[in-house]
Amino acid sequence: MSNINFVDIQHLKKGEVNLGTSIMAVKFDKGVVIGADSRTTTGSYIANRVTDKLTHIHDRIYCCRSGSAADTQAVADIVHYHAQTYTAVYGENPPVNTVAALFEKLCYENKDNLSAGIIVGGWDKEKGGSVYNIPLGGGMFEQPWAIGGSGSTYVYGYCDATYREGWGEEETVNFVKNTLALAMARDGSSGGCIRMCVITEDKVERHFVPGNELPRFWEGKEVVGGHSAQPTAVSA
Amino acid sequence: MSSIGTGYDLSVSTYSPDGRLFQVEYANKAVEAAGVAVGIRCSDGIVLGVERLLHSKLLVKGGNRRIQSVDEHVGLATAGLLADGKHLATRLRDEAYNFRDTYNAPATVQILSDRLSGYVQAYTCYGSVRPFGVSSLVAGVDKTGPRLFCVEPSGVFYGYRACAIGKGKALAKTELEKLIAKEADGGEAITCREAIDEIARIIYLVHDDNKDKDFELEMTWVSTETGGKHRAVPGELQAEAEAKAKAALEEGMEED
Amino acid sequence: MAATGVAPNNIGFDFSNYARNEFLGARLGAQAKTTSTGTTIVGLKYGGGDSGDEEGICLGADTRATGGPIVADKNCEKIHYLTPHIRCCGAGTAADTEYVTNLISSNLELHSLSQGRQVRVVTAMTMLKQYLYRYQGHVGAYLVVGGVDSTGPQLFTVHAHGSTDKLPYVTMGSGSLAAMAVFESAYKEHLTKAEAIALVARAIRAGVFNDLGSGSNVDVSVITKAGTETLRNYETPNERGIKSRDYKFRRGTTAWLKENVRDLVVSEEVKVTMGAGKAQQGTTDRPVAVGAGPGGEEGMDLDA
Repeated sequence: MSNINFVDIQHLKKGEVNLGTSIMAVKFDKGVVIGADSRTTTGSYIANRVTDKLTHIHDRIYCCRSGSAADTQAVADIVHYHAQTYTAVYGENPPVNTVAALFEKLCYENKDNLSAGIIVGGWDKEKGGSVYNIPLGGGMFEQPWAIGGSGSTYVYGYCDATYREGWGEEETVNFVKNTLALAMARDGSSGGCIRMCVITEDKVERHFVPGNELPRFWEGKEVVGGHSAQPTAVSA
Repeated sequence: MSSIGTGYDLSVSTYSPDGRLFQVEYANKAVEAAGVAVGIRCSDGIVLGVERLLHSKLLVKGGNRRIQSVDEHVGLATAGLLADGKHLATRLRDEAYNFRDTYNAPATVQILSDRLSGYVQAYTCYGSVRPFGVSSLVAGVDKTGPRLFCVEPSGVFYGYRACAIGKGKALAKTELEKLIAKEADGGEAITCREAIDEIARIIYLVHDDNKDKDFELEMTWVSTETGGKHRAVPGELQAEAEAKAKAALEEGMEED
Repeated sequence: MAATGVAPNNIGFDFSNYARNEFLGARLGAQAKTTSTGTTIVGLKYGGGDSGDEEGICLGADTRATGGPIVADKNCEKIHYLTPHIRCCGAGTAADTEYVTNLISSNLELHSLSQGRQVRVVTAMTMLKQYLYRYQGHVGAYLVVGGVDSTGPQLFTVHAHGSTDKLPYVTMGSGSLAAMAVFESAYKEHLTKAEAIALVARAIRAGVFNDLGSGSNVDVSVITKAGTETLRNYETPNERGIKSRDYKFRRGTTAWLKENVRDLVVSEEVKVTMGAGKAQQGTTDRPVAVGAGPGGEEGMDLDA
C-alpha cells in the first residue's frame, strides 16, 4: 500500500510528460470540492505551469489527474465519451459511481500499460456529492476525502488531523486550498497555482489561486550571523 | 385471423399484402394458449402471479416454475412456450450482469425491458429464425420506484400499472382496470399484500374448471417487505390468498 | 469504402526496414541513427483587445536538421501544412513529423469534405494525439499546432506520447528553453501582428544562437481568419559571408613543357533500320489464300 498514491517515475517512458502532482477531492454537505496544483513536468523542465488537471467528464462530474499526462488524458477522453453515450442512451446523467467504475475498468484492465492515479468527484441525484479514489493499480475506493499525486504523501497527516464531517462549502474550499499549498511547498514536482472546482446540484464553480497568493505557513526564521556560542577569535 | 396465410405465413421475413407478419401473429397464438400471468404495480412494490397449468397429474408439485429472477430486484413472468421463456430469462440475466459490470449499478427495469425488446425484435427480422412464442412481464423495484413492463413477441413493450397476458387475459384485464381505477384518478396504488389477494382472486376467476387442466398458483413479489429483492410470496400469505379466492369464487357461483 | 481497383495512397509508416536495422544494430553493436530535428519551434496567440489587429496565431521554427553531430540539412522546413488555416510545427524525429503531419493533413481534408465545413483546430489536435498515443511515444513527433477556426484562434502543443496542452504561448524542441525564456520575459496579451512576428523571430533566434541542435534561418507563419501568410526564411542570420581572400590561381601561374590535344568524344556509326521485322526492305507481304490448301496455310472459316 505504500506506493498507492506515489507516481512510479521509473514506469514513465523516457521523455514522457508527467503530472508530478498534488490533487485532492473532498465531499461536503451540498457536493464536492476538487483541487489541484498546475505543474506539468518533463524531467526537470516545467512543460506547463498553468495546467488544468481538473478535467470535465460530465455536467456534474470531474476528475483530478495524476501520473502520465498522455495516459490520463486518453483515459479521461474515453470515459467522457462513455458518459456522453450513457446520457444519449438512458436519457439521464450518469451517477458518479458509474463514471468512477468506467475509470476503474480502464485503469485495472490496462494496469500494465498505464500510470494513472485518478480521483473522481461529482454530484448526482442518487447520492449527492461523492468522491472516488482510483489509484495506480486500478482499485476503486469511495472516500469522504481523497488526496493523490506525488505531493499527497506530505499531507496525509495534515488531512487526518484537520478534516471534520459536516463542513459547508467555504470551510471545505479552505481545507483544499491549505492542503494543496502545503503539499506544493514540500513537493518539488508540484507547484504553480491552485485550481479548484466546487460541484453542487446548482453550480460548477471554478476557483483560481495565483502562485503569489498561495496560503503561507511557518517558513522558518531568518538566521542572522552564525549562532555558535563562542565568538570567533579574530587574530590581530 | 381473417384469412389463411396463403403462403405469406411461411417466413417472418415476408409481409402479407396488407402489411402483417403472420409468423408474429402465430407467436401471439402460442401466448394466448398459455396459462394467464398477471402483474400489478403497487405503492410499495410489485407482485407477479401465474396460473401454471398441469398437463399431468404425475408432475411433482411446485416444479417447472414460470416466474424467474433476472437480477436481485427484477422478476420475469412469461406466458407461452416455457422453453422460450427460460431462454429469454437467461438472456436478460446476461444483460443485467453486463450492465452491473460496466456501470457498477443495477439496471433499471425499463433498461432491461428495452434490452429484452431489442432481442425479441431481432427474431422478427430474419427468415432463418422464428419469433419467440412468449410474452414477458418484466417487473421490479429500482431507483425510479416499482416498475412493470410487458414485452410482446413483436418486440414492442409498454409500461403498465397492471397487466395480464396469456389465456383469459381479457377477463383478467377488466378486473385489473377496476383495481387501478382509484390510482388512475390520482389516488394511491394498492399495496403488495392487497395485490397478492387480488391476483389470486383474478387467476382463480379466470381459470375455467370445466375446460382447463388443473393448475398451481405461483406468486412472487418485490416489496419493502422483501428489502427490494425478488422473492417468492411466503407460503402462508399465498395459502391465505388462495383460500380467500376460492371463497370469493364460491360466493360468486351462489349469486349466479 | 475505397473503390476496388484503386490503389490506396501510400501514406503512413513503412516498417519494412525494421528487421534489417535490428539485425545491423545487433551485428554492429549500435542502432541506426535517425535524423532528428534538434529544433526550436514556437507559437503564440496575438491580436484582439486594443491592439487594433485581428486575432491570430503566429508560428515560428528554425531550419536546421541534424543527424547526430552532423547538420543534415541547413535549410529544411519545419512548419508543416495541415489545412489552409491550420499549420503544425514539428520537432523530434524528422521522418515522423513529416509522415504524421502528412497523414493527418490527408485525413483532415477527407473530414472537411465529408462534413462540408472547415475543420477545427481541436479536431486536428485530437487526431494527432490519438494517433501518437497509439504508438506510445515510438512515433517521435513533438508538435505545435496552431490555427484559426470558427471558434477563434487556437494553439496547442502535442507531445510524442499523446499528451496535449492549450496555452497562449508555447515552445518545443531542444531550443524550447531558450525560446521560452524570451516568451516569459516579453509576452503580453493583445500584441499587434508586427510585434508578434518580431517576438516569434526573437524566440527562434534565441534557439538558433543558444541551442546546438537549432540553427540556420527563421521561418514564420501567420494565421488569421483571412488565411495563412507563410514567411519562409523570414530572417537569415547565418548567411555565408564573402571570403576575404580566394584561393584561385591566376591563369599562367604554372609553366608547361608540351601540348597534346586529344579528342575525348567517342563516336560510332549507327545504322537505322525502320520497323525491323515487319516490312523489311527486300521482302514482300504475301496474302494467304483462304482455304487454299492443307497445313499451316489453311485458313479457318467457321461459317463454312
